[in-house]
Amino acid sequence: MNFLNITSARKAYRTPEGGFIHALDDVSLNVRNNEFLTLLGPSGCGKTTLLKCIAGFEDIDSGNISLEDQSLKGVPAHRRPFNTVFQNYALFPHLNISDNVGYGLDVARVPKKERADRVEEAMELVGLKGFGKREPNQLSGGQQQRVALARSLVLKPRVLLLDEPLSALDRKMRENMQIELKNLQNSVGITFVFVTHDQEEALAMSDRIAVVANGKVQQLATPTEIYDEPANAFVANFVGTSNIFTGKVVEQNGKNLKIETANERQVLATSDHFNLGDQVQVILRPEHMKLSPDGNEISECCIEGTVEASIFVGSEMHLHVNVGKGRTAIVHHRHNRGDEGERIEVGTDVKLYYSPNAAHLIELVED
Amino acid sequence: MSSADTILKRKRRTLVLLLAPFSIMLSVFFLIPLGIMMVYSFLEPGLYGGVEWNWYPYNYGRIIGWPLNDFEEFEPIYLKIFLNSLQIALMTVICTFLLSYPAAFWVSRMKGAKKNFALFLITLPFFANLLVRIYAWLLLLRPTGFFNTVLQSAGLIMEPLDLLFNNFAVIIGMVYILTPFMFLPIYANVEKLDYSLVRASQDLGANPLQTFRRVILPLTAPGILGGSIIVFIPALGNFIVPSFLGGSKVQMTGNLIERSFLQSRDWPFGAALALLIMASVVILVVIQLNRQAKAEARGVS
Amino acid sequence: MFDKILDSKIWSFLFKGYGLLFLTFLYLPLGLIFVYSFNANAINMAVWTGFTFDWYLTIFGGANSQSSFDAAFTESPARIFDVVKNSAIVALTASTVSTVIGTATAIALARFQFFGKRLYQAFLILPMIVPDIVLGIALLIFFVGAGFKLSLLTVIIGHTTFLSSYVFVVVSARLAGMDTSLEQASADLGAGPITTFRRVTLPQIMPGVVGGFLLAFIISLDDVVITYFIAGVGGQTLPLFILAMMRRGLRPQINALAVLLLLFTFIVAAIGLYLRSRKK
Repeated sequence: MNFLNITSARKAYRTPEGGFIHALDDVSLNVRNNEFLTLLGPSGCGKTTLLKCIAGFEDIDSGNISLEDQSLKGVPAHRRPFNTVFQNYALFPHLNISDNVGYGLDVARVPKKERADRVEEAMELVGLKGFGKREPNQLSGGQQQRVALARSLVLKPRVLLLDEPLSALDRKMRENMQIELKNLQNSVGITFVFVTHDQEEALAMSDRIAVVANGKVQQLATPTEIYDEPANAFVANFVGTSNIFTGKVVEQNGKNLKIETANERQVLATSDHFNLGDQVQVILRPEHMKLSPDGNEISECCIEGTVEASIFVGSEMHLHVNVGKGRTAIVHHRHNRGDEGERIEVGTDVKLYYSPNAAHLIELVED
Repeated sequence: MSSADTILKRKRRTLVLLLAPFSIMLSVFFLIPLGIMMVYSFLEPGLYGGVEWNWYPYNYGRIIGWPLNDFEEFEPIYLKIFLNSLQIALMTVICTFLLSYPAAFWVSRMKGAKKNFALFLITLPFFANLLVRIYAWLLLLRPTGFFNTVLQSAGLIMEPLDLLFNNFAVIIGMVYILTPFMFLPIYANVEKLDYSLVRASQDLGANPLQTFRRVILPLTAPGILGGSIIVFIPALGNFIVPSFLGGSKVQMTGNLIERSFLQSRDWPFGAALALLIMASVVILVVIQLNRQAKAEARGVS
Repeated sequence: MFDKILDSKIWSFLFKGYGLLFLTFLYLPLGLIFVYSFNANAINMAVWTGFTFDWYLTIFGGANSQSSFDAAFTESPARIFDVVKNSAIVALTASTVSTVIGTATAIALARFQFFGKRLYQAFLILPMIVPDIVLGIALLIFFVGAGFKLSLLTVIIGHTTFLSSYVFVVVSARLAGMDTSLEQASADLGAGPITTFRRVTLPQIMPGVVGGFLLAFIISLDDVVITYFIAGVGGQTLPLFILAMMRRGLRPQINALAVLLLLFTFIVAAIGLYLRSRKK
């Protein structure tokens, strides 16, 4: 049995200029029970729309959303066993913290005793024991966040929907909350659907990530698959940094391929899926390129270029290397204490080494 | 409520339910009456009030000189009274502006509770009864009133001055009644005036007067225009103020309308005069809306 | 610097002086009525001859006032209670109904999208823009033409129509400052539309609703022009009564009545302004 299943969902908005924006363009997605699924994408990609349609705040134009094979069509938000943690928390300013947390229970007419116990339990779960009598505006952003979580979790929803809940927090607080959220999800055993535009957040917390762009799911996979084997150039660029070379397979020796790239360089890669003459895109992560071979990299596997810029970011040196015909490759060169003497000057000719296993090949699609 | 209903359908039903009462009320007790009034202005007056259902554009002829028939004559006095009404309304706008503009700066420079209290004091007289406020000026201006008594007992004048029953008295009454309408929109603009722009202007070499004329005035202009319109409209149609402070000497179109309805019982003529006022109001509002739309398109409000 | 100039000693002195003049202009006339209402001089109010409560007592039929001079007003006590009662009925009914209608409309426009919304919005505030006298005679023509007998009912109908616009504007301003995600959160936590309205929307907009009600109440209570045309014989309200008194001549009793009316409206207005200024 499917858990939360979205099939061929479409939704379009009319723009003020009279055109249409396809916020959801044939989205199909199967959310598994008890998983932490992240919808990752740039702003305006449709991920928040998808969340709102799941929550029932908005209708999809066509397609279907179902929970355990029961269609949710026509079921209004207040009858869906889902709860949402809003981006701005949406705490009721006229109610104190425990009344905010108890709101859903009050609405469902849960008996007083049980209500008190469950509110207490939920507050404890999020580490806010004893805050019940305070007003929402007396709490910090992080605390308000916890109240919003408790308010939803107290109802034991089948799915908890989180709409960029960490975006308003500062960096330190955000990193703490990431760990807490993940632990919380493990302990309560509720499915989380988490929306964010922050790829690091997505990689850190999720069981699976759905990368969304232009109203479509670009890839649905585990964080390591998304990073190591991006399905297309968009995913490769959006999650992490990528060097992408377009080219054609000119030599094949079993799994070992040689690709002649558009900027007149030859790149080695290993793959089962491509043959002589195929048009491909080669994706190389900056941290997999080295300035000198060590270990897996082989000496004939290198790309020549000239350093255009070198940017020191602390743990690494980011080199922008011109690899011919204006193409720039980005290389993350590890920085060791006292490397000052090795600082690479702009204009230096370098060779970039990498392991053929690190190169990921995807099919070239014309846009 | 069947569960097959989409969220959209249910929303639409709620929307209709919420909008229906006011829409119906406004249609029946506002639009239709205005429509009937418009129609009446083109009908023949009945002998003892009411109307005869005959096409009769001559009500307008009496006012503006065309068209006329054998019975109706062009009386320039009506146009003169209308022009005087326009003049009084315009003077009221200018005076309320001159009074309110500095006051808005005065209040905007205050802080916290003091500011709120000043705003409270300025707004409060707005809620005093219209008649009571006019009555107060009768007490001030009449021959045995406050000003004349004070001036006489101070020996500055021998005979009481004629302060009442002239344009001046009517304008003072109007200004007194309508000042809050001018003050509040101006204040809203002055309050959010960005002083860094003022500083920028000074920094670029403008003297205070130039800064005022080129930066402050244009930035507060929307409030001034908004206030002017909501002062001008009630001033133009007012008949209570002139009937007490203007007496029989100062007539405004409002007095003519009142008389045609409640004394001479010539309803179509009164309706025609009312439409003259409505037309002026509509023209003003359309100009203002146009200006606003343009300003919005430019990204300023 | 202009703001420095405004804050400089001379200018702040000038502004203060001007501000006091401005307030004097606003309050001197009203203060004068207040003082005169205690002046025993029945012939010339501007000359103080002694302190008296007589004028307050006479309007309620209390003190047997001086002379036949006041004969015109001796019948007034019963009459005054009558018109005060009329005013109360009109103001309470009209402001209550218009608060419900105006609030419902404000919610509809704030929470729903539909075609032609801006135009509709302009239509809703039209009654505030049309001059009172035009509205008054249009209603008079309509009521007479439709066979309504001019009475308190016609006054209530007339008032409700234009007061709803005022309530609509006040409540809309409040709704504009309210976070829509609160209502979504409520629905999300299992509350149906009615529960959401009762438990979230209403408490949030309550200051606006009460403020709108009080504003409508005062405007209705004070209205002269529209009432003047559609009240007929049976529907005389307090302002119309004062109007009739003023037409008969300036009598000290008017002072007393005016002061009472002023005090009442100022108290109601103060409550309303306080509610509006309060945050959240």
